[in-house]
Amino acid sequence: MSLAIVVEQLLNALALAGLLFLVSAGLSLVFGILRVVNFAHGVFYMLGAYFGFSVVATTGWFWPSLLIVPPVVGLVGAMLEASTLRFIYRRPPIYQLLLTFGIALILEESVRVLYGPTAKGVDPPPLLQGAIEIAGTLYPRYRLFLVLLGLAVGATVWLLLTRTRTGLVIRAVAQNSEMADCLGADVARVRTLVFGAACALAGLGGVAAAPMTTAYLGMGISVIVDAFVVVVIGGLGSIPGSMAGSLIVGAAQTWGAFYLPETAMVIMYAVMGAILIFRPWGLFGEEE
Amino acid sequence: MSRGRWLGAAALVALAIAPWALARHQLSILTDLLIFGLFALSLDLLMGYTGMVSFGHAAYFGLGAYGSALVLIHFGQPIPVALLAGAVLAGVTAIPVGWFSTRAKDIYFAMLTLAFAQLLYTVAYKWRDLTGGSDGIAGVPKTTLFWGGPSLASGPAFYAVVAVAVVVSLFVCRAIVASPFGRALQAIRENERRFLALGRDPRPFKLAVFVIAAVFAGLAGALFAPFRGFASPEVMFWVLSGQGLMMVITGGIGTLVGPIVGAMVFILIQEILSSYTEHWMIFTGAIFVLMVIFLPGGLVGTARRLAARA
Amino acid sequence: MKRRQFLAATVVGGAAAAMGGPVFLRRAYAQNPIKIGLPTVLSGGNAQYGIQAKRACELFAQDIKGKGILGRPVEFIYEDTGADPATAVRKAQKLVEKDGVKFLTGTVLSSEALAVSAKCPEWKVLLMSTINGAGALTAKSYNRYFFRINTSGPMGARAISLYLAESPMKRFFALGSDYAWGRDSVQSFSTQITAAKKEVVGKDYPPVGTKDFASYIGKIKQSKAEGCYLALPGQDATIFLKQAHQFGVTREVKPIMEIVELENMKAVGDAMEGTIGSSRYPFTVDTPKNKAFVQRFFEMHKVYPDMFDGETYEGLEWLAQVITKAGGDDVEKVIEAWEDSKYDGLEGEFFMRKCDHQAVQPGFAVQAVKDPKYPHLIPKILATYPGDKVTPKCRTEDFA
Repeated sequence: MSLAIVVEQLLNALALAGLLFLVSAGLSLVFGILRVVNFAHGVFYMLGAYFGFSVVATTGWFWPSLLIVPPVVGLVGAMLEASTLRFIYRRPPIYQLLLTFGIALILEESVRVLYGPTAKGVDPPPLLQGAIEIAGTLYPRYRLFLVLLGLAVGATVWLLLTRTRTGLVIRAVAQNSEMADCLGADVARVRTLVFGAACALAGLGGVAAAPMTTAYLGMGISVIVDAFVVVVIGGLGSIPGSMAGSLIVGAAQTWGAFYLPETAMVIMYAVMGAILIFRPWGLFGEEE
Repeated sequence: MSRGRWLGAAALVALAIAPWALARHQLSILTDLLIFGLFALSLDLLMGYTGMVSFGHAAYFGLGAYGSALVLIHFGQPIPVALLAGAVLAGVTAIPVGWFSTRAKDIYFAMLTLAFAQLLYTVAYKWRDLTGGSDGIAGVPKTTLFWGGPSLASGPAFYAVVAVAVVVSLFVCRAIVASPFGRALQAIRENERRFLALGRDPRPFKLAVFVIAAVFAGLAGALFAPFRGFASPEVMFWVLSGQGLMMVITGGIGTLVGPIVGAMVFILIQEILSSYTEHWMIFTGAIFVLMVIFLPGGLVGTARRLAARA
Repeated sequence: MKRRQFLAATVVGGAAAAMGGPVFLRRAYAQNPIKIGLPTVLSGGNAQYGIQAKRACELFAQDIKGKGILGRPVEFIYEDTGADPATAVRKAQKLVEKDGVKFLTGTVLSSEALAVSAKCPEWKVLLMSTINGAGALTAKSYNRYFFRINTSGPMGARAISLYLAESPMKRFFALGSDYAWGRDSVQSFSTQITAAKKEVVGKDYPPVGTKDFASYIGKIKQSKAEGCYLALPGQDATIFLKQAHQFGVTREVKPIMEIVELENMKAVGDAMEGTIGSSRYPFTVDTPKNKAFVQRFFEMHKVYPDMFDGETYEGLEWLAQVITKAGGDDVEKVIEAWEDSKYDGLEGEFFMRKCDHQAVQPGFAVQAVKDPKYPHLIPKILATYPGDKVTPKCRTEDFA
């Protein structure tokens, strides 16, 4: 087993973890702060990929899509939240969950109407094309970019949540929304903001994923279960948890596919199950 | 409630004359509706009466389908044997899954059921020799009513079996719900802490209802396999679990009959809309979103409320 | 009370009418048409195949406009199965029971075809495959209501193995999607390439819909294979090729595909240049009939025909001829008329074997090359093999 293979697998795991983090961070936030299991989360990831494709197709540039698309996707999410989810927070959680399911159906089909049923390829920007020689093996630059992007976004979000006033308000609402409301926080607005931000993160994940996986219908469905596994392992509502969870799942999937293809996913679900039984708040979550 | 009794009797009569009144294709749709109605009914036992939301209920439907498919293809046994095999396979699997899952609460319980269901799905997908992997098991025959008995291959004959199975299951579930056991379940749903405070342990009840719900879901799956002639991992996929939840909510959670109606409406809307427009999913999603917001009691729940008020 | 009951009755009645509605509408327009039902994939990752089937039907409908088959118009009814075998059976059942369809085609995944084919004897309808490759369909799972027009997976593997027998490459890795066709194809290729005294150094089966092939690419690299045989459907192939290219693997290991598709070439682009493989229908076949077809196709659809555009068109044309020969759409008579019949197709001559309903046809080894006349890579034919050399023995996946 050469150094080249080890390094390559390690980088693969990190790149996959980067993508998973982008998708699951938002899911974790929405659950931790809004107590909603957002089944539509995967579809916002898909929206990001398709909108990214549109930006690249019309402007010919990739970098702008990283800046333009997430806010747009976030806006779509925020509007949906404000027009539907907002009215049913007081209901039992099953209703919110099913509402997101319904939204997922609508959005998925809308993308098919807008873009057609075939996959859309996106080329990485010239700077990130090709491969670099690392430890005797060629490794794609774009995947290295994913690793860095995941770290950068993770650090930014964590800082925003812990070091800014907005972050403080958000965390207050998460802990005790009624109290926060009494203390003057605009709870409804915070919820919309968080939901929008989570969708924006998922959208960013989609933009980043498209050059690697193409933009295709059903990409939301394939990523959402992985995201759930990450969030459960890391802890619902915790950003460092999402990072840890992404690393664990990314590593398990990468090495699992290489060495134990038959059992990799089974092990993942077993780990998820074990955590739910013995430590349901995840590795980094807060005990309720 | 007498109006309810009249409606119930009318429904039974309608089901009985369906093979003569409906065209071949419509009878097939009705059979399909009944099978998924049973699936939704089983989920309601869990959701509506005990307050346990499961994301992995489709796994038991799938286990029922595989159990029945394997018995029919490899051993050619009569249909009731296959039904038993499917229901038992589902029920037996539900015991350990339920035992572990019920140790967690609410959203964590839901996630656990999802994890287990995905695990079972992965096993079904990978165990090619037994389950045919992603290709599934094709050519599942409709055999006979009993050894040496009449063939159930025709549409109306098989419909009869399905209709009887579903109606009987509904009555059995009603009996369960009305029994002391059923009342305990509802007490757990209302306020689990108080249940504990009264000196009773909710866990055996939760495990029991989990397994019972799995058995009925398995029965539905066991009917599905010979009906479609086919079993595949897709029938265990979490998307079907999600659809099951939608059927229950659409019909009315906690009403038993509601989920059956909900399943029918859910599938019918898709059938009807899909013959008019290619993009029926948008309308289905929109209708569903509106229903969740404005009609939380589902169709039957809202109808009962309106009737009670009138 | 009364009003509510009335409303309820109206809703129920309306729903029932709506369910029957489209059927009544169709009956009004039909003049005893010959109905062909397509439970195909129009959404999701394999939608490109359903689209091809549909395009072929549209061109065929235009070509027979005014004449029909035996003077009767042809009606195509499409249903979306989402590449799910259970849905495929359901939609096929609807086509048969509600729409009265006697001929089914357009099934995309082999697993869907296996499921639908198993029901055909019960429904007494004919399933014509123009896309499905799994060897089992004309072997272990054969039934007389199933006809395969297209080159099967084993045939494709055979064609490219014959070509590779001459090539200097000795070590091959084989990657097949984890379902009927992918596994069958890898098995076929392994058997034949080993018989040609070459070595298969590794095999793997990524799940259908895999989005990240990094681990598989790592294994391929580690195996030091010279060529990598791929049996991946549509989108999976596109993603694999792109990622393999990003890892620089395609320079060291030659991609060999059981099916070389235009859709992949368009999506992957120049990164796919040099790829060799088999093609079920390469639009570059140089016969007058094919050239005319390509031109008509391009005029109607503004793109060049891909593999299944061609194969489906051939199937429809042949089916029409066979129905004409049988004097009507009685399924039993059509089956009889079809067995042991010949057809002059776009790619060459076809012969429908009675023993397993596999159409014996020429096999092609092709290479993806750049050609300034076209906006994308095109399949250049490297070798053509006569039908009897590439078709397996009856009801088996083995070759003589």
